[in-house]
Amino acid sequence: MDNRNKSDELSIANTELASQNEVQEKRAAELVVANKELAFQNAEKEKRAAELSIANKELAFQNNEKEKRAEELVIANKELAFQNEVKEKRAAELVIANKELAFQNEEKEKRAAELVIANRELAFQNEEKEKRAAELVIANKELAFQNDEKEKRAAELVIANRELAFQNDEKEKRAAELVIANRELAFQNDEKEKRAAELVIANRELKHAEDDIRKLNDELEQKVIERTAQLESANKELGSFSYSVSHDLRSPIRAINGYAKILEEDYGDKFDSDGTKALDSIMYNSKKMGQLIDDLLAFSKLGRKQVTVSEINMAALVSMVMDELLFDEDENIPEFKMNVLLPSKGDQSLIKQVWINLLSNAIKYSKYKPKTCIEIGSYVKEKQVVYFVKDNGAGFDMEYYDKLFGVFQRLHSQEEFEGTGIGLAIVQKIVSRHNGTVWAESKLNEGACFYFSLPA
Amino acid sequence: MNYDGVEILFAEDSIDDATLTIRALTKSGFTNKLHHVKDGAEALDFIYCRGIYASRNINEKPKLLLLDLKMPKLTGMQVLEKVKLDPGYKSIPVVILTSSNEDPDVKKCYALGANSYIVKPVDSNKFFNAIKEIGMYWMIINEPAH
Repeated sequence: MDNRNKSDELSIANTELASQNEVQEKRAAELVVANKELAFQNAEKEKRAAELSIANKELAFQNNEKEKRAEELVIANKELAFQNEVKEKRAAELVIANKELAFQNEEKEKRAAELVIANRELAFQNEEKEKRAAELVIANKELAFQNDEKEKRAAELVIANRELAFQNDEKEKRAAELVIANRELAFQNDEKEKRAAELVIANRELKHAEDDIRKLNDELEQKVIERTAQLESANKELGSFSYSVSHDLRSPIRAINGYAKILEEDYGDKFDSDGTKALDSIMYNSKKMGQLIDDLLAFSKLGRKQVTVSEINMAALVSMVMDELLFDEDENIPEFKMNVLLPSKGDQSLIKQVWINLLSNAIKYSKYKPKTCIEIGSYVKEKQVVYFVKDNGAGFDMEYYDKLFGVFQRLHSQEEFEGTGIGLAIVQKIVSRHNGTVWAESKLNEGACFYFSLPA
Repeated sequence: MNYDGVEILFAEDSIDDATLTIRALTKSGFTNKLHHVKDGAEALDFIYCRGIYASRNINEKPKLLLLDLKMPKLTGMQVLEKVKLDPGYKSIPVVILTSSNEDPDVKKCYALGANSYIVKPVDSNKFFNAIKEIGMYWMIINEPAH
């Protein structure tokens, strides 16, 4: 009875174990599935792997417990087998009854052996699962490391992305600026094209103008050549004209003057006072005419004379002129005040003529003054040397200044001061041929100052 | 006509200038020794005893030639040139008289050997003085070459 009960209980326990084993197999299968899922869910895997590790440990523990129980069951079974053998013996009597039991026990043994095998299989499977779990842990750690690396890379990428984003912003800004700059350039290009078009037109006009200028220049050149030829021939004509004037005009005047002189010498006592006066007039006027012709020739000669420029020691030149000045005994000899005379450049003989004319003028126009002083000097003004001759003689009215340097222009009567009016015209001509200037200042009856400038 | 003793040969086409010149020389005492011709050709005829002067004694050479520049036929310069190129006559002093200081031939005259060059002044006093001085200088002061 006891045995039957125990056998039943064992059977029930075995059945339960089998069912438990089935449940465990399902759980194991689910674990596999969960592990697989875990493998996919890497973010959560470490935690879950830890949990799984715990769960696995628990399972292992449970399996151990089951194994222990299985072992106990094996021992119990062996004991039972021993008790059964004893019982068989004991049950020799109970053989018939026991045969069924034995048969049932054999069946149970077979089933228990099968369970043992199944348990071993389970244990093996659990070991395998543990190995896989350990591998999973390793794999999880690897994944976690990879995740860390990925996170680091992701952080680096985030920084890199920010940098890129910043650079992109900068590039966008630049792009925007470039767009504006491009518009500006496009505008400028338009303007340039417009200007280019205008320049093309202007160039065409210029070309026309150039053509015109060239034509005009050619014409001008032709005219210059013609004029030069005309001037040259005019100059030649003037030369021969001067010669003719001096030669052919002087001869009759000389004859008039000469015959008048003969009349005076040979027949002077036969003229009454009126006749003598008339004769004097003839002589005086013919002489004057000769003087005018000579002056005119001297003046026209100046225009053709070659100016030979050299250094002039003006002080030496002026004292030479002073030495050559001739005074009559009864003449009012003036006092000369000589200041420093700077050197300059010019044609020595022509400049000497300037001094002769200016000094003789100063003397001539001072002759009625009881005490006369003539001052000579020089100074530098605007890169030119200015010379002056100052007298305190008759002077002239500045109102007629424009006539002062004219040929044969006189501001005083012949009776008052003799002369043809050529002296200052010659002075002006000589100085202007030296690229200098002549000017004068005066107050009537108080004296005059004549200036001329020469390149220093 | 007797040309003996002619010391000054004076060539001048202008009667007036000749009159005045001769008067000036006369007043200075040279009258008898002067012969006046009216152009250069006649001057050469006189010097070389040709034409109307063929009978003149060729050995009597004038002591001074007064030549006006501008004359018909031959100019004073042509006479000057001829005389100065002739070894037998080139030592005779030649004074050129002219009305003009503008004459382009002035330089040529000196180059040809003229001894003086006088521009006849318009002023009769000066003219007389000039002529008198020429006569004085060349006839009295100056020592002839032979």
